[in-house]
Amino acid sequence: MDSVYLFPPLSFWISDALCFGSLLSQQASHNRYIYQGLEMESTCGSLLFELQKIWDEVGEADNERDKMLFELEQECLDAYKRKVDQASRCRAQLRQAVADAEAQLADIYAALGDRPVHMNKSSGSLKKELHAIMPQLEDMKKKRNERKSQFAEVLKQINSISKELSGSTEDNLTTMIIDEHDLSMKRLDDLQSQLLLLQKEKGERLRQVLDQLNVLNALCMVLGMDFKSTVCSVHPTLGDSSGTKSISADTIKSLSATICRLKDVKLQRMQRVHIFSSQVFAKQFIQLSYLLHFQLQELAMTMVELWNLMDTPVEEQHMFQSVTRTIAAAENEITEPNSLSLEFIDNAETEVMRLQEMKMSKIKEVISRKREILEEICRGAHMVVDGQFGTDLSVESIESGAISPSDLLEQLEFQISKVKEEAFSRKEILEKVQKWLAAREEESWLEEYNRDDNRYNAGRGTHLMLKRAEKARVIVNKIPAMVDALKSKAKTWEKERKTEFLYDGVGLISMIDEYCELKHLKEQERQKQRDQKKLQGQLMTEQEAIYGSKPSPSKSSNKRKKNNGGGPVKQHSSNASNSQKHAEFLTLRKALSPISSLCSNIISCNFEDQNAKTGEFKDTQTAYKTPSATPTKTVSAYDENRTPKTMPIPLPATPPTMSNAMQTATTPFTPGIRGVEEVEYSYEERRAGFVSTKLHSRPLSLV
Amino acid sequence: MTAAPPPSTGRELSNPPTDGISNLRFSNHSDHLLVSSWDKSVRLYDASANALRGEFMHGGAVLDCCFHDDSSGFSASADHTVRRLVFNYNREDILGRHDAPVRCIEYSYATGQVITGSWDKTLKCWDPRGASAQERSLVGTYAQPERVYSMSLVGNRLVVATAGRHVNVYDLRNMSQPEQRRESSLKYQTRCVRCYPNGTGYALSSVEGRVAMEFFDLSEAGQSKKYAFKCHRKSEAGRDIVYPVNAIAFHPIYGTFATGGCDGYVNVWDGNNKKRLYQYAKYPTSVAALSFSRDGRLLAVASSYTYEEGDKPHEPDAIFVRSVNEVEVKPKPKMLPNPAT
Repeated sequence: MDSVYLFPPLSFWISDALCFGSLLSQQASHNRYIYQGLEMESTCGSLLFELQKIWDEVGEADNERDKMLFELEQECLDAYKRKVDQASRCRAQLRQAVADAEAQLADIYAALGDRPVHMNKSSGSLKKELHAIMPQLEDMKKKRNERKSQFAEVLKQINSISKELSGSTEDNLTTMIIDEHDLSMKRLDDLQSQLLLLQKEKGERLRQVLDQLNVLNALCMVLGMDFKSTVCSVHPTLGDSSGTKSISADTIKSLSATICRLKDVKLQRMQRVHIFSSQVFAKQFIQLSYLLHFQLQELAMTMVELWNLMDTPVEEQHMFQSVTRTIAAAENEITEPNSLSLEFIDNAETEVMRLQEMKMSKIKEVISRKREILEEICRGAHMVVDGQFGTDLSVESIESGAISPSDLLEQLEFQISKVKEEAFSRKEILEKVQKWLAAREEESWLEEYNRDDNRYNAGRGTHLMLKRAEKARVIVNKIPAMVDALKSKAKTWEKERKTEFLYDGVGLISMIDEYCELKHLKEQERQKQRDQKKLQGQLMTEQEAIYGSKPSPSKSSNKRKKNNGGGPVKQHSSNASNSQKHAEFLTLRKALSPISSLCSNIISCNFEDQNAKTGEFKDTQTAYKTPSATPTKTVSAYDENRTPKTMPIPLPATPPTMSNAMQTATTPFTPGIRGVEEVEYSYEERRAGFVSTKLHSRPLSLV
Repeated sequence: MTAAPPPSTGRELSNPPTDGISNLRFSNHSDHLLVSSWDKSVRLYDASANALRGEFMHGGAVLDCCFHDDSSGFSASADHTVRRLVFNYNREDILGRHDAPVRCIEYSYATGQVITGSWDKTLKCWDPRGASAQERSLVGTYAQPERVYSMSLVGNRLVVATAGRHVNVYDLRNMSQPEQRRESSLKYQTRCVRCYPNGTGYALSSVEGRVAMEFFDLSEAGQSKKYAFKCHRKSEAGRDIVYPVNAIAFHPIYGTFATGGCDGYVNVWDGNNKKRLYQYAKYPTSVAALSFSRDGRLLAVASSYTYEEGDKPHEPDAIFVRSVNEVEVKPKPKMLPNPAT
């Protein structure tokens, strides 16, 4: 700058002293310049003087000299002008800078929303002003940046939360742009309150989600489903226990939908369980009624049975206690893990099926027992079982569904009570019938006994036989009275009931009538026989008269001639070929001995068959009692049965349509013969090798 | 005398056991037939469909089997085991063991127990609900005087026949000792014992062609009803051949009964009237076992050599199921007198 003042003293010197003087006076305040100017004036003056001297020496023309001086002056002026321009430009720049700074400052203030700072204008030079304003501006800029970052922070949070809430993954860019022109505290507060709101909502939602997850967890536990997979299917983040969970509205919605669905499932399953439970109860009820039934009927006998029966349900119930418990529980109360899981319900259902099957078989058992009881009563009362109830009262009719078990039971029960009642009414008559039948048996025994020629032979047990015969005779004498009483009883019964009295399916009255008729026939036969005997006697006396001799009484008792043609024997048609022989033996019956009744005839007849064929007048018992040693036997035990060996057995080779009487023979109670015998073994033991070697003897079986 | 009906043995089941048949039984609920055999198998047949429904192989010959319900049963084996068989799953588990071959097995509906008799001279009661461990399923062991040969149940009564002609009658509710100790009325080895369906007594057969009808009632009147009769005998060339009576089966409805002997015949008897009702045509070999179906309409007959004459060639083992005509098993009312003759 100093260079600017280089030439003014020259111009002062050369031409316009006033002009220079004013210039200099303007700068007078600057002592230094003045001093310099003085120095320069002196330099310029000396230079001018030197120039004048040179010119003088050279002899330059004056006009040339003026021209040169003018040029010089012109050059000086240009230099000044340039410097002034420069300075003014510099000033303008300064001004501009200050103005800019001020404007910026004002902007920032406005943006920050602060009151505009009162600026002390015009204090000093432009440069001072600029110096004063610049730090302020820097300050404010820093402040603005801080504010901006605050905004950015808040906005970022808001953005992230709203993103979570909306559930969208892309950034919400619009909210990210910070409005540069409004960074006021008020706006910040607004944003912060918005953020708070959002945070609150987030918390709310999170709580909601957690609640729902808890509910879901409980449901899954109850239903036996995998909680994690269920939850992951709603939103993958939910399954993660540590990470953040999705809380978007969609998630909540689908969560609640899932909960609703599971609740539905739970209700459905509960209904199933309820049905199941009612079935269980039904089963228990039936069992109980079954038990009660037997308690009433066979209290003493079934005590142990009851315990055993009770045993089963207790064990079974234990397993399904939790199920039966649910009957009383409301939907909300079922919280026990797995109590509604599918497998559990399935198990329970299979159990129900099993129980139902068991129930069915139990019912069948009960029914068959009932039937047994019914048949037992019928049998006891000599009633025909078939006539009392149809065949439809059987287990099969339940299976076919024709009748329900309870109905069937009821019917059976009804039948039983009916039959019981009838049996009671029959009791008195039946007792009489029994007596009558027993008497008939005795009668037939007596008849048979009377036929035995050896009956008075002294032997073991003969006195017992005599006693029995004595008793039998007493009884036989009572028979007619018995029959009369029985008949009248039966008749009154029939009148009362208006049905025929059936004894094992045969009318009692007709039985009695037939018996009486038969007896009558026998009586006639006997009469005829007596007449014949008389006739014979007459014939003998006549013969005596003619030949003078009388056949000895012993010879006259020739059996052949005394054939009375006993009715019962002839009926046994299967042995018709033997009838002739039978007839012979029957004549042995004493004239006054009672005639055997027909029912027992068959048995006695059979004995006779055997006896007839062997030609031995032996009681079967005596036959067995006398072992006759036969050589074919190695084992002594077999000797017992020697006798029958020699006897042909009257078994027809072809199956008869008529029923055959059994070959009954009362086996005597002889003490065991095991003492003599070696250790016996069954065929199975021999086959299985369960035989000690020393005992291996010939099989006992076949003769 | 009318002509005999055409001889028929009934329908033969296909897939019979390959060795001696030890027992067969009809189910109480269906026409299923359980068959045990010396070929170590237990087979389940549907008799009405003539189909083999299941087969269980054991470690030894199977000497007896019985049903539990329609879906399971029990078997007694010569390998000393008592097994439970579940038909639906073809599963079997061992209920327990004896010390010797197990001869007979029964299931009591009254007590829910399985009862087995063995040649180890004991009777054992089992609770089939107990797990497979013997100590859990075994209810009790009851010593017998001799090896057990046959057993039968009715209601709460159990009749046990052993070697040495012993007969023990038990009350299942008190097994500590026999209710009655008896000796067989027959003089020879007991072959089979079966209770009357009405629970008043039992029929007992011996190896010597004879059957005794016995009564539980010990009073004089009760015992006076007992009797014995001869059966399954043949007269040949002046010699009387006596066959063992292997099987007795009571008709579930009429209470009449069928007997089967080593002569290959099956006879039906009316025990009350002391009559023989029917004789079926001869079977190829010994009748080893008999069973009536639950309604008495079918009779299963095991025609199988019972080893009475030791190891010898014999007819193949077969099971015949015949339908039973009512007239063959229904007791006839007391024969009416016929005064005309």
